[in-house]
Parts: sequence; structure tokens; C-alpha cells
Amino acid sequence: MDLTQFLQLLDELTASAVSTFEAAQDLETLEAARIDFLGSKKGQLKSAQKQFGAVAKEDRPTAGQRFNETKQGIEAAFEQAQQRLQSAGEAGDPQDQQFDPSLPGQGLQLGHLHPITQTIEELKDIMGRLGFSVADGPEIEDVWHNFEALNIPAAHPARDPIDNFYLAVANAGKASPSNDLLLRSQTSTVQIRVMENSEPPVRIISLGRVYRPDTADATHYPMFHQMEGLLVDHQVTMADLKSVLRLFATSYLGEDVHIRFRPSFFPFTEPSVEVDYHWNDQWVEFGGAGMVDPNVLKAVGYDPQQVNGFAFGLGVERLCMRRHGITDLREFYKNDIRFLHQF
Amino acid sequence: MLVSWNWLKNYVALDMELSELESRLAMAGLNHEGTTAVGDDFAIDLEVTSNRPDCLGHLGVAREISVLWKQPLTLPDAQPVAAGPSIQDSFKIRIDAPELCNRYIGRIIRGVKIKPSPQWLQDQLATVFQPINKEWKPVNNVVDISNYVLMETGQPLHAFDLKELFGNEVVVRAATDEEAFQAIDHRSYKLDKRMCVIADKESAIALGGVMGGAETEVSDQTTDLFIEAAQFEPLAVRHAARTLNLHSPSSHRFERGVDPAAIDWASRRCCQLILELAGGKLDQDVIDVGNPAPTPEAIVLPLADLKRILGIEIPPDEVERILLALGNDSLQATDETISVTPPSWRPDLTRSIDLVEEVARIHGYDQIPEDVSVPMAPSHRTNADRVQSQVRQVLTAAGFDEAITASMVPTEWTTTFTSWTSAAPLVSDTPMLKGADTLRTSLIPSLLDTRQVNQSLGNPLIELFETANIYLPNKASLPGEQWTLAVTSGQSFFQLKGLVETLLDKLKITEPLEVTTAQSDLFAGSQGVELQLNGKTLGFLGDVSPTSLKQFSLRSATSVLELNLTLLLEAACLVPQFVPQSAYPVITRDLNIILQEAVRWSELEKVVQQTGGQFLETLQYQETYRDPERDGEGTKRILFSLTLRSHERTLTGKEADEIRDDVVQAITTELNGQLLA
Repeated sequence: MDLTQFLQLLDELTASAVSTFEAAQDLETLEAARIDFLGSKKGQLKSAQKQFGAVAKEDRPTAGQRFNETKQGIEAAFEQAQQRLQSAGEAGDPQDQQFDPSLPGQGLQLGHLHPITQTIEELKDIMGRLGFSVADGPEIEDVWHNFEALNIPAAHPARDPIDNFYLAVANAGKASPSNDLLLRSQTSTVQIRVMENSEPPVRIISLGRVYRPDTADATHYPMFHQMEGLLVDHQVTMADLKSVLRLFATSYLGEDVHIRFRPSFFPFTEPSVEVDYHWNDQWVEFGGAGMVDPNVLKAVGYDPQQVNGFAFGLGVERLCMRRHGITDLREFYKNDIRFLHQF
Repeated sequence: MLVSWNWLKNYVALDMELSELESRLAMAGLNHEGTTAVGDDFAIDLEVTSNRPDCLGHLGVAREISVLWKQPLTLPDAQPVAAGPSIQDSFKIRIDAPELCNRYIGRIIRGVKIKPSPQWLQDQLATVFQPINKEWKPVNNVVDISNYVLMETGQPLHAFDLKELFGNEVVVRAATDEEAFQAIDHRSYKLDKRMCVIADKESAIALGGVMGGAETEVSDQTTDLFIEAAQFEPLAVRHAARTLNLHSPSSHRFERGVDPAAIDWASRRCCQLILELAGGKLDQDVIDVGNPAPTPEAIVLPLADLKRILGIEIPPDEVERILLALGNDSLQATDETISVTPPSWRPDLTRSIDLVEEVARIHGYDQIPEDVSVPMAPSHRTNADRVQSQVRQVLTAAGFDEAITASMVPTEWTTTFTSWTSAAPLVSDTPMLKGADTLRTSLIPSLLDTRQVNQSLGNPLIELFETANIYLPNKASLPGEQWTLAVTSGQSFFQLKGLVETLLDKLKITEPLEVTTAQSDLFAGSQGVELQLNGKTLGFLGDVSPTSLKQFSLRSATSVLELNLTLLLEAACLVPQFVPQSAYPVITRDLNIILQEAVRWSELEKVVQQTGGQFLETLQYQETYRDPERDGEGTKRILFSLTLRSHERTLTGKEADEIRDDVVQAITTELNGQLLA
């Protein structure tokens, strides 16, 4: 068989199949026609394929290409006919009325991440893009890292036993302020640990649980989450601090926002400021910040004449509450599944 | 700190609007908390940070205003005329507890007439006291004056009725433990030796820095006064105020520190006002014991530091103006530096960085730009974060909701499950929540409790997980914090085990997961297991026992899981490497083996893996069933499939059969199993 004959055979086959499929008036007839033309064992297309071997070798690429086109054409014609008959069935066949596509689908039972986790992940994301890596530290701290190195001397009210969770091993005597261990009251402790163990530049954030003995109410809980940022390098200024915080706020809020500093006081920064951002025509409290106090730099073995830096901290719960309109902080720790499913 | 608008006018001109005053002070460090109208006056509530005790008096706030608006500050007179005998001839003061009281100054006025204070004084005090205490009323001229000078200068003062003071002597000493003291509020307090008292020959007549005593209270009959102006130690005052829950305007100021150079000035100011408004004669001289005010040391500010820290240039003459207006003196300037001696009322100014902050806040932080370009820097995601993220993906995809629960729990919860540690847990004197004073050694009890909370809320499906630290006491300097995942579920043992296997698979951990029975009251019967990876304890898994369900008031069957995430992190392969897949078809062989009950799947699996050879691709467990009638008691049938494949060619049926036969042979030899024909 030469190429011309083979191609003619294919053309005839296509014409025949298309007209047969178009003529079919029900799905059964169509199925019979499908077997006749497309059946995998004795279908006419299969028979035509067997003729392929008889085509001269140099013509086989052309023959092969045309055969594939024919096959696709016949299959398409079949599918078209099938769709035509099926959609006719929807309206006409009483049996198909049992198919109610408006019934609910079978959904997946997905779990939900806690809104605090979602907020933390977003903060990490944004700060990561700004070049801050995540650093981790222990929740149980010694007084050096929680106070001394942060320029909070022994006489400072922040070290008072009633304002901290000092720890002792059970039954081995009462916990007391002379005791060296406590649950960290701020994530700034991680700054100290990182600076003690590395040389500038340092560009980190630390996030995690912190603890202060507050009575639980709508805006307080004895455990909460903080994000603390630290950048130490040669020639870091308050303008850098303001600009980084503006980039952060703009990234978080999705719109260009302005930043305002108000003077404040923290033992571990000097100058210290409260940071506000301007949002919906008002100034919103954002967190505390400042230039790392020279005493802190000295405590970790840095030379404050050579390097300096800035630090900032903010409460994760407050940010999360404002974003999602949550009005009672205790909701976070009740873990009502109906609450968790809202986020 | 409430300040009166009218009162401030005594010291500085207020030509600005009230709102402008409020906002400008806020931007310079005195945060505006609110303003209340009192009569024809305004009480302006300013938040004073603990480093600025100078602003706990009207004069300090007026000084800030004078600096910001470049207005002169007018100080009142404090030069009372003394017309009586010398106090030193009739009275003695001694400090026996210098660690509790640094300085004590006394003056005496005789022949005063106690009566109501004039209206202007009552009005000014009402503005600053009434918004806090609606019941506040003026007392009498002497008491009102001492309060007035307190609110003017920030220096607390106390007037004693001299005739009720026995022995013409006061001693400043430590209280004795259990010493009883009746305060001016006519309530009795038990003191301790860390508190400071003022005593006459008989007994304590004042609790130093906190409150006067009832015995020597100034009354309508009082004619002679002993006026105290002192400097009590902040720690002693804080201890007394907190222990006795007796917080007063005096204790608030002593806790933060008073101006050591203005104690005598405040005493004189008080005496002058008493002479003016209550009459009487002031004894000549003064008794002033203790340490005089230290001379503040000069501070050198390198001008380059301003630009280095703040990122902006500030002209040197502006820097000089600000520093001088704030009360610094002895200014000496060079091209590179400015040197000043800070004022006695600013104990927070000791270093050049402190002066940088002063210049910045007065010059204005709004001068600092918010759009400088910060250099880029690389940042990387930690492996712990990557693992945590994958764990969360698996758990949420499996339908588990994330809980966050408190790190401290009731002690009895830590005895429920002690498999991580049998050491006594860490406790705090201060409970975090009611009854919760123990650092948890497992997350499971917290999640069981959360399950109970959700059960009581009628939530139908309660599938929870949490990732957090547990706290394992050890002998090291800091207790061990183990990064942990816990799950509570209504699903079966094998569903939770499957969850663990899925997690290992997700983290590309190929080492086998091994199980051994875990002994714990938490688990029902033998339904609790310890999970091991590389011979280390990965975690625990099991069905909760009826006793533990009861402990947490749980009504339905509950399974729990707890894993050491650090171990998962160590074993995880976070950057999987490509492995070429075979292009050849797979051949499967199903086997049905009769085994003794005691033979575990893990043993069977081991034998199959060992004998399956290089073509064994997967070994898939299908099911176990029992047919004692045909196979005999104590036996079971295990059905499983072998998937065989070569990377080089298509395996033949004959080869597959041979592999199957080898496997069966090994099972027969090693485990006494029989292939079911």
C-alpha cells in the first residue's frame, strides 16, 4: 500500500466515523459506534493502523502524523456526540433528575492554625524580607540575661518578685528573688545571648512566649507573645530605626504609612521611644524602640564607640487583636474550636 | 501625674492653647493621658516615666514648658523669716538607719493657728486630687500646705504636732519585725525590719516616706509644728508601700528618688507658706543630718555623637541652648565637644548618650527622617522554622486545629504523665493562673483540659495539636526546654500512628519507627507505646485510660500523641535529593501467611526486607484476620503485598515467583510461618 492509499483510507474513516457519531440518537447507539471505530481490539481505526506497516519506510513519518491526527479527530467527534446526548438526557431523561448538583459538596476537614501563629508567621515573613533572621532563646532565664545585661540593676522595680515568675524546683525550698531562675519577662534576653555569641553585624528578630504576673482580663494575660528586633553594626542611627519600622508597618498594613517617635524610657535603650504609626487618620501605638544602651553593648563585650544599634519590641497579641477585631485577649488561650475556625 | 493648668501659670507663661500644650509635652516625653475640667481649671494627666521624678511636681513640668516654648521660668521664694530661738537648743534628730534614710531635715514653727486654707490653695489642690479621688477634701492650712509643696516640687513633707512628740527628739531607725504602727488613716499596720520609721522617745510616729502616724497628726488644737523634709531610700519605701499596700503620693516620689539638692529648699518653702497662711514663729536654724547632696559630675558630649546616634545634624548653638534651658550648667564648648554639669534633679543624666537623648527629644524626633535607605542584608529561615512549618502543614491538612495553652499548670497535672521526666517539676511562688504554679513537663494534660473545655461548649469534633516547650529539670545551669508536639484526638491508635508515619515521610526521615510498650497511668492497658527513632525516644502514643479520662472529665474515647520535635529536626532531610525512577514495569505478589499471635509485624517486616533482595521496592501490609477453626488457636493470618521492580529491565514472572518463594522460605525458617495456599 502506498502513502496515497493509506491517507485516503484515513480520510474515509474520518468521514464515516463523524457521520455515524452525529447520527447517533442515544448513548447506546453511540457506544456501539465507538466500539466499531475506536475499539481497542477490532475497531476500524485499529485495522487501519495495521495497514501502517505496509507503507514505504520513507513515508512512515507522514503516515504516522496523519494517523495521529485522524485518531484525535475521531475521538473529538465521539466526545462531542457524547456531550450532545448527555446534555439532552439532563433535560429529558427522568432518571437523571436524581442528580442534584445543588447538593453540598464533600468538603475537606482542614485544621486551622492559631491566629497568634498566623500573626507570628506574617511578622517573620516581613522581617525576613527586611534582612532579619529569626533567633531563638530559652524561656527559662537567669537574672543576668533577663535583667543585669539589659541594664536593669538589682534595685530596679522590674526585678520585684511580685512582678516576675521566679522559679524553684518543687519541694526543694521556696522560690525567692535571690533565686537565679525565672520565666523571661521579655524576649530581649535573646538579644543578649546572640550578641554574646557573635560579632556585629547582628540583624535578628526573636519571637516567643513571655511571662508577667498580670491578672487575666480582656487586655492582660500572664503569658503573651513578643517580637523583638535588633540591628547592631557600624554606623546605625535612629533614622535607620525609623525607616526600618516604617518599611515594616507599610509591609504589614499594605499601604504607605508614617511613623512617629515619642520619648519614653526603657533601661536597655537610650534614647528610648514609643513608636506610633498613622492609620485611618489616627496615630496607633505600635511598640517600644530605641538605640541599644551603651551599657548593654558593654555587657556583651562590644565597644559602644565602634558599634551601635537599635532595638524594638511589640506585643503580638495586640497586633493580632487589632487586625482581626478581637476584643478579649483571653479568647486566644481558651482555644474554643469555633474561635480557632474563624481564622 | 495630674497637673493644674492654672497652677503652672505661677511659674511659666501659658500663651498656647491647652491642646497644643498637651500634644507638645507628649512629643517631648510627658505622654498625655487625658484632661479633666475642674471648676475653672483643667487637670492635665501626664504619664511620667520612672526616670523623670523631676516631673512629679509642677515646677518640673513648668521647666519642660519653658524649654519647649523658650519662655523664662519663675521660681517662687523660699526665704522664711526665723524669729524664734534656735531649734538646735531644744531638739535633736538622729539617723540610726542610714541604709534606709540618707538625709533628714527638721524645722520647728511655734504658735500657728490651724484653720481652713485659703480658697486659691484649696482650688489648686482640688484640681490635682479630686479627679483621682472624688471624696477628696482639703484638711487644714498646715496639711494642705505640705501637700501643696509636695505637688509643687515633688519633695514630700510632713508636719508633726510637736506637743504630741515625746522627748524633743526624733530617731530615724529600722522598724522591728511585727512592730505595730497606727497610721494617719487610723488603721494599724504590722511592720518589718526592712521598713524605716521615725520615732520619738516612746514609739514610731511615722512610717518613713510612706505615711505619718495618728498620734502626732496635726489637729485643730495644734499650735507647734515639727516639719520633716527627708530623703528615704527608694527600695525601703517601695518595700513598705507594697508590703502594706499603702501607696501614697509620698511613697510614689520617694520610690523614684527626690532631688537631693532641693530638700532644704522645699522645707523652707513649706515654712514660708505656713508663716504666711497660719502665722506662728519659725525657730532659727535647721537640723540637717545625713549625707549632703552629691555634686553631679560633668558630662562631655562629643558633638559627632549626635549625628552618629540620631542620623541628623543639630547646630551646636541649638544643642547649647537646650542643655542650658534644661538646667545644666558650667557649660564649656570646644569645636568637638560640649561639657556640662547636669542639674541635681536629673539623676538620669550621667553619660553623653543621656545628653544625646535630651537634645533629641527637645529638638524633636519629628526631625529624624523615616526614609533613609537601610543596607540590604541576607536572612535565612532556620531549620527549626522549616520543620515547624511542615509539621503544621501535615497536621492542618489532617484536620487538626492548633491550640496555644499556658506554660504553667496545676501540680497534679504533672503527675498524670511522667514519661519524659520523673524529676520534680519547677514551680513558682506566683501562680500563672488560679492554682497553676508548676511548669509543665508534658503538653498532653493542657490539651486534655482544652478538649474538656470544647466538650462543654458542645463542639462536635475536637482534634487539637500544640507545639511548645516542655520544661525538664536537670542539673545544668538552665533547665531543659524540650520543643514538643502534642496531639489529642478522637481517632484510633492506628490513625494517630499513621499521623506520625506521615510526618516522618513528609520530613523524609527514612529510619524505621520502632515501638515499645510504655508504662504510664495515662494509657489504657497496653495501649500506650513509646516511639523510638535511631534508638532515641521520639515520643509517646496511646489511648487514654478511663482513670485519666475521668480526671479531665472527658466523656468520649481519646487518643494522645506527644513527640520530641528537636529529634525530628535532627533526623529531617530538608533538602531531598533526586533519585531516578525505574522506567520498567512493576510486578506484585500477594502473600497470606499463617503466624503465631506472638509474632509481630515488625519481625515479619524485618525478615521480608532482608530476604526480598534488590528488586523489592515496597512491602505493603494489607490486613490481619483470624480463623482458629482452620488454622488453630493462637494463630493469625497476615496479608501483605510485595512490589518488585528492576531499574535495568522488565522482571519476569518467574523471577518474581522466585523472590516470593525465598521470602516464604525465610518466614517459615525464622518465624515458623506458613504460606496459605
